[in-house]
Amino acid sequence: MLWKNTYNEFIKILAKPRSYIGLAALTLLILIILFAMKADGRMYISFVTASFEQTLSFNGNILNGNLIAFIVLQMLIVHIPLLVALVTGDLLSGEAAMGTLRMLLTKPISRSQVVYSKLIAAAAYTFILVVWMGFLALVVGRWMFGTGDLIVLNSDGLVILNYADILWRYGLAFAVAYLALMTIATLSIAFSAFADNSIGPIVSTMAVIILFTIIGSLDVSVFDHVKPWLFTTHMASWRSFFSDPVPWAAIRESVWILLGHNILFIGIAIIKFKHKDITS
Amino acid sequence: MKLSFLLSLLFLTHLTSAQDPNELVKAVRLKLEKVTDYAADVHIKAQVPMIKIDEVDAKIFYKQPNQMKVESKGIAILPKQGLGELNNFLTNEKGYTCALNGSKMLGDVKTTVVSVLPLTENADVILVKLWIDPAKDLILKSQITSKSNGTLDINYYYGDQAKYGLPYKMVFTIDVKKFKLPKSVAADLHQNKKKTKATEGSQTGTIVLQFSNYKVNQGIPASKFKAN
Amino acid sequence: MNQEPIIEVKGLQKNFGAFTAVKDVSFTVNKGDVFGFLGPNGAGKSTTMRCMLSLIKPNAGQINIFGKNLFEARNEILAKVGSIVEKPDFYKYLSARKNLEIFARISGADVSQQTIFETLDFVGLAGREKDKVGGFSHGMRQRLGIAQTLLHQPELIILDEPTTGLDPQGIIEVRDLILRLKNEQNKTVILSSHQLAEIEHVANRMVIINKGQTIIEGSVSELMNAQETLLSIELLERSNEALYLLQQQFAQIKAEAISPKTLELNVERNLIPAINSALVNAGFEVVALEPKRTLEDFFIQMTQS
Repeated sequence: MLWKNTYNEFIKILAKPRSYIGLAALTLLILIILFAMKADGRMYISFVTASFEQTLSFNGNILNGNLIAFIVLQMLIVHIPLLVALVTGDLLSGEAAMGTLRMLLTKPISRSQVVYSKLIAAAAYTFILVVWMGFLALVVGRWMFGTGDLIVLNSDGLVILNYADILWRYGLAFAVAYLALMTIATLSIAFSAFADNSIGPIVSTMAVIILFTIIGSLDVSVFDHVKPWLFTTHMASWRSFFSDPVPWAAIRESVWILLGHNILFIGIAIIKFKHKDITS
Repeated sequence: MKLSFLLSLLFLTHLTSAQDPNELVKAVRLKLEKVTDYAADVHIKAQVPMIKIDEVDAKIFYKQPNQMKVESKGIAILPKQGLGELNNFLTNEKGYTCALNGSKMLGDVKTTVVSVLPLTENADVILVKLWIDPAKDLILKSQITSKSNGTLDINYYYGDQAKYGLPYKMVFTIDVKKFKLPKSVAADLHQNKKKTKATEGSQTGTIVLQFSNYKVNQGIPASKFKAN
Repeated sequence: MNQEPIIEVKGLQKNFGAFTAVKDVSFTVNKGDVFGFLGPNGAGKSTTMRCMLSLIKPNAGQINIFGKNLFEARNEILAKVGSIVEKPDFYKYLSARKNLEIFARISGADVSQQTIFETLDFVGLAGREKDKVGGFSHGMRQRLGIAQTLLHQPELIILDEPTTGLDPQGIIEVRDLILRLKNEQNKTVILSSHQLAEIEHVANRMVIINKGQTIIEGSVSELMNAQETLLSIELLERSNEALYLLQQQFAQIKAEAISPKTLELNVERNLIPAINSALVNAGFEVVALEPKRTLEDFFIQMTQS
């Protein structure tokens, strides 16, 4: 029954126009970034390298596909959660709003299976978003800008990574970015279990992200104990794969914390949904 | 005023040595000018605060009067000054004046220290100091002080190509005081504040260039230097 | 009539916070019944229906369906139940057929494409299977809703206010459909309504609830016969004599002569034929016998008390 309903969920997601908003928006955003970089990428880079370039000269293809992919990832990590929540926040509450949840739950399928099948569908949708983003950023980026060493600006300086040493970093970075986006997906599903309208969980998810991000960026010591436990703190963990050496321990910690959040949010969604009176 | 003081200093130092610094620099220059072009493989090892980069192999091309090009598959970091610029600077004989600055042992070589002062007032370069091996007319060390880059030290090591004044190894010591990271971009997660402070402490970096496969005066087409 | 109970609801209670939606509802639906679940708006019908489909967890009471506790054997029971709660809602962006496929897939039975087409035909939606539900009228959705309840050949069909919002033609069609389900497919049907006429026309048994409590349960005809009806009798003349006769023959009735030609009396419905015979046999010329108070009045009386 789980897989049958998961199949149903795929049909629904594929048929829903809003599912394509995310993909279309993502495509448009990346194409705009690619175009902008093609037109004026040197300027963008010199913003970073300006103070170094008085003393040093950077030779070689700096503005290459690898850097473009990095820029795209960095720019979009702020926006993709919205695109994910737009679909996943609607999964339970949208059906409640439409009235189909009532129809669905009078069928011989347990409520936790309903949540799981929606979770699987959400995971697949998020996966497609990430893969599509990866394809546009890395494959199209490399096609347009060629390959080369990746120059990354971290808080402690520039890191220049050998072009042969990059693909695995992107592979793992996309995996961790995916986990971060799944945290958004599960959070919005958890909100979705509480709501009977579509917009509430989407807005709530974004509100939480904004709130946590602000807390995370406030340099106030009262939040020092909270910050490491906020999932938003770890959402940019994919970036750590572009440090040299890679801070494996820190990444592992981020992965555990993100996984923990995923499990927590799924747990909340299932408990709430199982005990929910369907009055919609 | 400044200039007259320097000129009098120059005059004083001139008296203390039998050697004419202008002649010495000229000898060096003439040696360098024998090279109309060269190509070489270069292995770059940069240890610069706030920059983390692997060792890189590149190809370097030079053609008189001032064309220089570095070709590398990846990103290669080179000092902005000191490769072709010094040669260019010395070529323009009327652009500077030289003063003797005593002698100094560099390793087991006794070098003559020459200060080269640009004569154009608004030049970026403020002062060039050269440690010259007078026996071989080779620069063993140079120090370029400029408005934009602070002080750049270069040590030269010579081998087969000494006859052209081309070193097999150059060690650049650069000033990184002016390095700054744009804050908004450096928004990565695992920020390490202590580490940042540590790098602020060391204010010089070194870049070692190791040359091989010199091909001198074999002709390089001008197209090589065209920007991509 | 087979007396095998299909649904047994006992002492059902449901609170939403401080509000008690269902206080004490009990009834039994037997196999083959078309069972009417009657009550005014806000009586607790929908809440009870939702409890019977496990959409809402009751605070107290028991629901047994097919002899099993609903909350212990939920999936097993729901596999044999088809239902519409409130109104049928569908994925508007999908076609009628895709909607049915979605619900069929999780109905617990293997539903063939042929069954889907046959069911669409049964509810009169043949030829509209490719149309998006978003463009369907309320009546068409209602019919698609019924199709959805039938796909997996359920033994029990639960319909919550199935004619709400339908035009008279639609109401007749749905009634017709329910009777066909009972007569042609021998299904057990439970339908709720706030209109007695609705139930009267199709149900054989019913329960009336009000303010979250069971008022009365029984066979529709018995309940209707058991009630006193205000009967108006129109004669050509001599109403006073007729009154005297009836008071002599039917000691229990309360009657009064309204005019020289009209009598009004409170009687049980089953006495009406006897009254008519008595008057005719005594030579009175009866122009009309009109039951003025119906079960509707009784329903109103019961639910308002």
